[in-house]
Amino acid sequence: MSKYHNFMQRPLSRREMLGICKGGFGSLAFMSMFGVLPFGCSRPKNIASDSSLYLGPHYMPKAKNVIFLYMDGGVSQVDSFDPKPRLAKENGEDPKKKFKVDATQFDNVGKILKSPWEFKQYGECGMPVSELFPHIATCVDDIALIRSMVSNFPEHTNANYFLHTGSGIQGRPSMGSWMTYGLGSENKNIPGYIVLDGGLIPPGGLDNFKNGFLPASYQASILRAGAEPVANIRPKEAIQNLQEEKLQFIKRLDDTFLGKMGEVDAVESAISNYELAYNMQSSIPELTEFSEESPVTKKLYGMDSDDPHTRGYAAQCLLARRLVERGVRFIELTCPKVKADRWDQHSNLKDGHERNAHAVDQPIAGLLKDLKSRGLLEETLVVWTGEFGRTPFAQGSDGRDHNPSAFSMWMAGAGIKGGTIFGRTDDYGYRVIENEVTIHDLHATIMHLLGINHEHLTFRFGGRDMRLTDVHGHVIKDILA
Amino acid sequence: MNLEILVNSGALDRPSDVLIFFGRFHPLMVHLPIGFLVLTIIVQFSVRWPKFQPLDTYISYLWGLGALSALVTVVCGYFLSLSGDYDEDTLFWHKWSGIAVFLFSLTCFYFTKKKSKLFHFTKWPLLITVTGFLIYTGHLGGNLTHGSTYLLEYAPNPIRGLAGMPPKTKPRKKVTALDSADVFLDVVLPIMNSKCTSCHNDGKKKGDLLLTSYSNIMNGGENGEVVIAGSPEASELFRRITLPENHDDFMPSEGKRALSDEEVDLLEWWVFSGAPKKGYVTQLNPEKRITIIASSYFGLDKNNLLSKKVSYPDAAIIDSLRSQGFVINRLMKDNNYLEANYTLSEKAIEALNLDFLLKLKEQLIWLNLGNSEVKDVHLEKIGQLENLIKLDLSRNAITDLGLKHLSKLTNLEYLNLYESQVSEGLLEVIPKMTRLQKIYLWKTKVQDTTIEQLSTMNKNLLVVFERDEVAGN
Repeated sequence: MSKYHNFMQRPLSRREMLGICKGGFGSLAFMSMFGVLPFGCSRPKNIASDSSLYLGPHYMPKAKNVIFLYMDGGVSQVDSFDPKPRLAKENGEDPKKKFKVDATQFDNVGKILKSPWEFKQYGECGMPVSELFPHIATCVDDIALIRSMVSNFPEHTNANYFLHTGSGIQGRPSMGSWMTYGLGSENKNIPGYIVLDGGLIPPGGLDNFKNGFLPASYQASILRAGAEPVANIRPKEAIQNLQEEKLQFIKRLDDTFLGKMGEVDAVESAISNYELAYNMQSSIPELTEFSEESPVTKKLYGMDSDDPHTRGYAAQCLLARRLVERGVRFIELTCPKVKADRWDQHSNLKDGHERNAHAVDQPIAGLLKDLKSRGLLEETLVVWTGEFGRTPFAQGSDGRDHNPSAFSMWMAGAGIKGGTIFGRTDDYGYRVIENEVTIHDLHATIMHLLGINHEHLTFRFGGRDMRLTDVHGHVIKDILA
Repeated sequence: MNLEILVNSGALDRPSDVLIFFGRFHPLMVHLPIGFLVLTIIVQFSVRWPKFQPLDTYISYLWGLGALSALVTVVCGYFLSLSGDYDEDTLFWHKWSGIAVFLFSLTCFYFTKKKSKLFHFTKWPLLITVTGFLIYTGHLGGNLTHGSTYLLEYAPNPIRGLAGMPPKTKPRKKVTALDSADVFLDVVLPIMNSKCTSCHNDGKKKGDLLLTSYSNIMNGGENGEVVIAGSPEASELFRRITLPENHDDFMPSEGKRALSDEEVDLLEWWVFSGAPKKGYVTQLNPEKRITIIASSYFGLDKNNLLSKKVSYPDAAIIDSLRSQGFVINRLMKDNNYLEANYTLSEKAIEALNLDFLLKLKEQLIWLNLGNSEVKDVHLEKIGQLENLIKLDLSRNAITDLGLKHLSKLTNLEYLNLYESQVSEGLLEVIPKMTRLQKIYLWKTKVQDTTIEQLSTMNKNLLVVFERDEVAGN
């Protein structure tokens, strides 16, 4: 079989033929009956014309946009947001004598390891935060902390897919794709789902951000840090009309092709992606141009930091705010590539976590404060999470291994009850003992805040109405305002 | 024989669990004799036609099945009655007519089995008797389980009249203000009806307690009074609903839906206030906490704008607004409320755009005109969009002059004016926006004293007027 097999259009199958006829005649009949197009956002025609499908919020949304701060590698909960004094008391003792220890990924179980960082209480709510995050600590009254997250996978790749797509297996649509599919994009010049590449693409690769079985226009667009965030963002042609004419010629060819093929998603998405790409040539350079931002704002984010990684992540956070202002639905920030790997400290916990924390702490706090003062936090949900947590005992002598049985994450902004702490882990921070929250629950809650009932946003694939939360998920009401 | 010993050994006063266990099968078994006997009666009729003649052979077996299942049901029913949870009178007639069903169907079985000549003459009277007792027993059984008013609760008034029941009472009007909410009829009784009266009703009388009317509640049950006016702690009713849910005495029992915290608080307050029979909520001088709870219980604290259905917007206007640069989105599935956003157009707004927007006056609840060169003159039109809940006018050169046009926006909950020129004029306009929860004033000309005044005027208002800058490194 040719390696281009995937890219060659098959002849029309019997099912597609029937589908096209049904969709065409059915929707024509419907529209003539009511005389109106379903109103909502612009979408590929084959979706918009299916009149039985409602897209848009199911109930009045709290959030319009999501900024997903992905802490790649898994932040240690007992060193960040879940203080465990007992670890200090029993530091150096054998964990297997204290509690049942599951096999970990590297299964090099060391002694109980106390946190190298002190915790202090902050804000009116008195939420304890470790020394790792002195800046985020000043925002705790806007944050709802969940200490009882669990994941189904103890390994990065699967856990990443699970966190991003609700399934541990490669190939499902990413949550950002689901949300842009459900709500549409507001800005026709910028994609609705953007990943700001901080330097580290998570294990599992770009499939974390793919559209899966959803139409191709809903996949993430990745913006790189630096002078050219998107390849070829500036036209290569010397004369501007030349590019326009080329594109128009391609569009004519495409239209003829589409006429022959019928409404095929792959072709329609490709055409709409071309159009978007053309628009992005003007929108993206403007977007990444920070000259209109005041020095105070840049300083707030940490763009004057001595640490190049802080500066880089600060630029990404500032860019995220600018994207929110431009109506982008879902923005994910990946981690900067500091000199100590991602948050995945299997050894050298102190150095690695400090480097990572230093890179993201001030930019994140700056983002929260900036959003709040502009009134944008009112309609933006900020989500901070890793794919799993870390063990309370050492791997080797000074690292921590993966722990999917408990980790901490937080959300802030639209519809979130600030200063809340939800869920509880045992005395060691090893397992959840109260109010367990699954990744599906997290997805259900994010969708709820966007006005989407996670049980009703579906896409028919493989003979079944698929959901981001599959058959799971409960909205976590306790953290909602 | 064993059963007899069990039953007669004084166990009748406190029947052993095993009997009640069998008794609980009564509601299951009861459907068998009904089904069998109705079938038998139909067959008995239909054998008159030649087509159904062959069925005649089986009639005696059908009667036998009917009689046997009736016997089992009667026995189970007897055990169930030992629990004593049922209205004595109805139970007496239910029991004996049930036994009659069994005896008459047994007679029919005997006659058909023996092919007795006698059956020829007595067939029709017997059939009518069995049918009659079957319906009568079933009806009484239904009354025992669901209450005697169950069957005709929703019947048309003429039918209710025939049965000697009073005409249906109109449901009480939905409470729209605490001033007109009756403390018993609108608070206590609805709580009882939704959570208590499925067991404490005329038919069931669990614990000899009826919670269907004021006098019944005050009369109490087998353990005496359940409501001691003025003292919730001494009131058995209050104790039962506030126990831990797994406590034996907790009410409502057996996994029925418990009272909500609001309902418990309201009942506590009612008992504390002397358990009055009538009076409006506000006449009892409730403390602030109770007023808040009661408002939320009646749904009075919600913005009732959203409970109103609005018409479908004119598609032509939406198309036109979109072509002018507005992003128009629907905000919910089962209503036609809309949001409009002009910031993404990167154009200056003009009066003409706003004229079009006014045509969506009814549907428009969110409006974002941030950074769109809105001027004071434009605010006159924006001020007519009375349904707005969220309004973003940030990054526009608007001043107090224009601001005063917004005072009619009483539904507004969120107002963003950051980076605008507004100042003291806020003090005139903001107090009129009674629902306002959040206002953003960073980078405006507003003085600190004005901010203070705003906060004291409306305690629930969040005023964001500055940005926390970097904490000391």
